[in-house]
Amino acid sequence: MKSGVVETPKTAQGGRLGSQVFPLLPFFAFTGYFLIWPVLAVTLRSLRGNEGEWTFSNYTPLLHGSYLHAFVTSIKLSLVTSVIGSLLGALFAFVVVRYATGRFSAVLDSISAVFANSGGVPLAFMFIAAFGTEGLVTRVLKTLGWDIYAGHFTIFSFTGVVMVYSFFQIPLMFLVFKPAIGGLRKEWLEASTNLGATQLTYWRRVAIPMLMPSFIGAFFLLFAGGFSAYATARALTVGTVPLVPIIIGTLVDGNVVSDQQNLGDALAVGMIIVAGVAMVGYIWAQKSAAKWRQS
Amino acid sequence: MKISPFKWILIGASAFLSLLIFVFPLFAAATYSFRGEAGKGRSLANYRWLLEQDGFYPNLFTSLKLAALAGILSLVLMVPTMVFLNLKAQRYKPLVDFLCILPLIIPVVSLAIGAQVAMPEFVQNSEYELVFFFAIIALPYTYRALDTSLQTVPLKTLVEASRSLGASWVATILKVIVPAIRSGILGALFLAFALGIGEFTITSLLHWETFPTWTVGAAQSNILGAIALSVFSFVGAIALLATISLISRRGTKPESLESEDEGVLL
Repeated sequence: MKSGVVETPKTAQGGRLGSQVFPLLPFFAFTGYFLIWPVLAVTLRSLRGNEGEWTFSNYTPLLHGSYLHAFVTSIKLSLVTSVIGSLLGALFAFVVVRYATGRFSAVLDSISAVFANSGGVPLAFMFIAAFGTEGLVTRVLKTLGWDIYAGHFTIFSFTGVVMVYSFFQIPLMFLVFKPAIGGLRKEWLEASTNLGATQLTYWRRVAIPMLMPSFIGAFFLLFAGGFSAYATARALTVGTVPLVPIIIGTLVDGNVVSDQQNLGDALAVGMIIVAGVAMVGYIWAQKSAAKWRQS
Repeated sequence: MKISPFKWILIGASAFLSLLIFVFPLFAAATYSFRGEAGKGRSLANYRWLLEQDGFYPNLFTSLKLAALAGILSLVLMVPTMVFLNLKAQRYKPLVDFLCILPLIIPVVSLAIGAQVAMPEFVQNSEYELVFFFAIIALPYTYRALDTSLQTVPLKTLVEASRSLGASWVATILKVIVPAIRSGILGALFLAFALGIGEFTITSLLHWETFPTWTVGAAQSNILGAIALSVFSFVGAIALLATISLISRRGTKPESLESEDEGVLL
């Protein structure tokens, strides 16, 4: 792939370029209208005051108090779940690539695909069945002498949401990261062994640096996914953990006065900005990973 | 391969962790869902309760309909796009690639708010607006599925052969390329369908009622029923994915199988 620059140069080739773009127009029109335009539209409206004037005032509530706290909580939640998800997902990917046979590995791929997309309402109820006050795991642990509800823990708390999110973050990491581990060639291990390296040196000096860009890219993908997840947290916490998507949902569901509409817009754009930072990280990591693969 | 204790520690730890994180919750939910009336014994009472709820069938039907339309829309849009992209417009691939990864990055909540701002009244007044957004959300997956399977066929040769024999572009795509990448197409179709069936965020924020949004309301009156519902959804999703992998395997295997058969026959 040469470059990401897609401007159409006005050269003698213009006609040929036109015929290249033409079949892609439906795609550009579709994504432009249903993906880019909504994002632009909400951004523009978030910069308008009640009288239609241009202003940044809609963003002031985001900078302090409960809304800032919600952003901090949301970012913290995504960070914690992506750390857990990426580390455990990478471990599973490594074990499966190394030790599982083809058919079993294919079955795990399918199951992971289901689990990675399971971040919906059903997941919340499943975890209530397992770790709720009357949950099966809770009761089994209690008979074993460990009352997990003795302290501050509930499944409806921050820790609870972390557990539930891990259920889809780990399989997502597994799916995204497995090809990278599969891409490690046997020859590299042999080469470094022939040069006198131990297994540990091979991992420290060859494998881990090779895998790092893919790992970081996947981490940002997990971060963005965890940050914007809505359904599970909503069904599980019913607002006990202040997360930005939940607050937006409440604003949208309620009878919206115009002040709150502006606030909802600003929160939505705030989320896009945070996700945008993750995207920059993701793209950077993708580029580095591609560079490794080429050379 | 040498059998090292390290290997068994890794496998053991992974097995234990996956048991704890994935199997226990599923098992617990399944156990609860078969609880009898008043929490005693085992029965199908919770599943029966589910089927008796007003709105179970209508909402399931709505979800199936919208998801199927989203699957079809994804294919109609993406198959020609991906073919041209790989064939003639390689230079636009980074841009298309970027646009297709965006739905994973842009928070769905923000997209929903944006949709409320950006879509004209007549679009917002129809539940079919969801079809477009389901297709958008499925983009990263449909793109990947189609791209992967297009990489495996000699696209240029196929198209040149077909075009030089006088076939039109439409005929080339429908009669030559589509059969060649059948497994990728089915994979993309089912993924878009599965995502549409389970979509909650956009649907709920745009105030439509489908199966997933209906379940939240239904769950409030009966938690055991809600748990039965989650088991039902999970089993459904796994069944759907098993079907995908079966079909796509059938789609890719024949060539190798046929050559094996020939070997036997010859």
